[in-house]
Amino acid sequence: MMFVLHLIPLTLLGALLGLDAVSFPQAMISRPIVAATLGGALVGEVGKGLLVGVILELFALETLPFGASRYPEWGSASVVGGALFGMQPDVSPGAIAVSTFAALFTAFIGGWSMVQHRKLIAHWAGNLREQIAAGSTDAIISLQLRGLTSDIVRGALMTFVALLVFVPLTKIVLVTGTFDTVSARNLVVAAAGAVGAGAIWKVVHTTKGAPWYFLGGLVAGGTLLFVT
Amino acid sequence: MPIELYRIDDRLIHGQVVVGWGQPLDVAFIVLVDDTVAASDWEQDLYRMGAPPEMELFFESVTSAIARIGAYQSRAEPGIVLTADIETMCRLAEGAPGITRVNVGGIHHREGRKAKLRYVFLTADEETRLQALANRGIAVTAQDVPSAPPVPLTEVLAGAGL
Amino acid sequence: MNETAPALPIRTRAAIFMRLFAVQGSWNYEMLLGNGIAFAVEPALRLLPGGRGGEAYRAAMKRQVGYFNAHPYFAGVAVGALAKAELSGETPERIERFRTACCGPLGSVGDRLVWAGWLPVCSLLALAAFGLGASPTAVVLLFLGFYNLGHVWLRAWGLRAGYRDGLRVAPALGTPLLRQGPAHVARSAALLAGIALPVAIRAIIGPERGSLAAVILAATTGAVALARLHGRVEGWRVAGYGLAAFILFSVVR
Repeated sequence: MMFVLHLIPLTLLGALLGLDAVSFPQAMISRPIVAATLGGALVGEVGKGLLVGVILELFALETLPFGASRYPEWGSASVVGGALFGMQPDVSPGAIAVSTFAALFTAFIGGWSMVQHRKLIAHWAGNLREQIAAGSTDAIISLQLRGLTSDIVRGALMTFVALLVFVPLTKIVLVTGTFDTVSARNLVVAAAGAVGAGAIWKVVHTTKGAPWYFLGGLVAGGTLLFVT
Repeated sequence: MPIELYRIDDRLIHGQVVVGWGQPLDVAFIVLVDDTVAASDWEQDLYRMGAPPEMELFFESVTSAIARIGAYQSRAEPGIVLTADIETMCRLAEGAPGITRVNVGGIHHREGRKAKLRYVFLTADEETRLQALANRGIAVTAQDVPSAPPVPLTEVLAGAGL
Repeated sequence: MNETAPALPIRTRAAIFMRLFAVQGSWNYEMLLGNGIAFAVEPALRLLPGGRGGEAYRAAMKRQVGYFNAHPYFAGVAVGALAKAELSGETPERIERFRTACCGPLGSVGDRLVWAGWLPVCSLLALAAFGLGASPTAVVLLFLGFYNLGHVWLRAWGLRAGYRDGLRVAPALGTPLLRQGPAHVARSAALLAGIALPVAIRAIIGPERGSLAAVILAATTGAVALARLHGRVEGWRVAGYGLAAFILFSVVR
């Protein structure tokens, strides 16, 4: 079975990209547009990976990783989304909707897993409290390494379990469901576009002049629709 | 217009204050009351960088704040008065009239302090001081951001929010 | 105050710079970045009299591990400044006060410039490239290349400025680039969003164009609704529920 062959490389990729989101090196290889494309590439479908990546990137524009707040973890979730869509046959109505949903759900659980991870580090810090407060280099480096290692494990587990659940589930849903290709795709695109546009508006609207730049951009973008 | 918020927060100027409270209250100025900061130009430079360019920032010692509080309270735009610790707020409240509410926004873990809320840790002495503020008829509540519900002092001291 | 901190040897500088990439490696709700700051500044502290494990070194480590918060890319400013302060013999009290005072600016400048600025700009640039038909490799490299140019430059600049200016690093944070930058970046994001969103939506829909107008209209309506609710609902969650309902409906019908 192809899926089993893909499982290990995808899990490793999800582990690395999950680590990138917060712990190391935050080079944003964990952004959906990169992570889903790589996930798709690992199952031999780089283009389909990018397609899911673009959709998820629009959603991700809304959830900027501000400090201590809770936000979804897109790195491992996008690997799952890109790979899942890549594994479906080319003519598969509904595959885009199911893959996108699987990625959104995984990102949500991923956000929860990050909170648990942060609590786990606080627990370790509590155990090492006296040594850390005394400035013990060993304790400080040990806490740093434990945090990084456990985050790799977190990303790997997220990816592995999500694939194990969603690969068979997607198959069942797509076989039993009656999907209309056009409406499934349009629904996903409209939702992603709405979230992305709303998010950008929220971030820029307080900046003087930004709404005019947005309108100007729309005129240019609209023109491009007609001329290209 | 009276000062919108009298806040105790050991981080002084940071996101929760500038964005969290600043945006919904339309805050135009912040008065930072701290004897050490008032005498330290490099610290003032740093705090100034933490506020957006359009927000005015004033640095006062407790003495100068008491002298000028009336002028701040009669400004047309809403403002915030900030102190880093409970003691400074107590001294300010003793000398300055018109403080009816005090917001505890963040007092973080340090040796000797006990956890009361996720963002409030107090020594026994600090508990007494807060209680004394309340006894003067000032409404003392803990609230980190406007979207969170204010926690009354009695519940804070009981550690009910943990 | 004594201003005679040694120039940092290349090896020390490189070690600190590498460690800065993992400064959030032990992020937790109690110390936030505190442990990471001590981890990153540690190579510099080995230059203190007595060397690694000496009395001065241990006292400095103890100071550096407390609560600290900042944008991760700007943490280097603090690490550089703290290294300079420790090596030039600043008093513990001043170092403590600096740690408190710089959390606010290093957080808010970074949030506005990077998370709400540079990241969306690079993301929209990549979306526009996708919309105009760039290959997957080109889209990914464009995004990663542009983004990390800014990212790595910021980290390197921060460490340098911090070590150069020490506790008096505030004016460096007040340079026009950092002070006015966020507004310019936000306007670029607005412009790019206008261009990228329609073409990206068209490219996802593909060759069949019949529904393009309807989809763009639906997306616009949804965006306006989300903007009006500002912050009270998260759009991606609503979309998740909507997709779940759609999938469920398609299965049971």
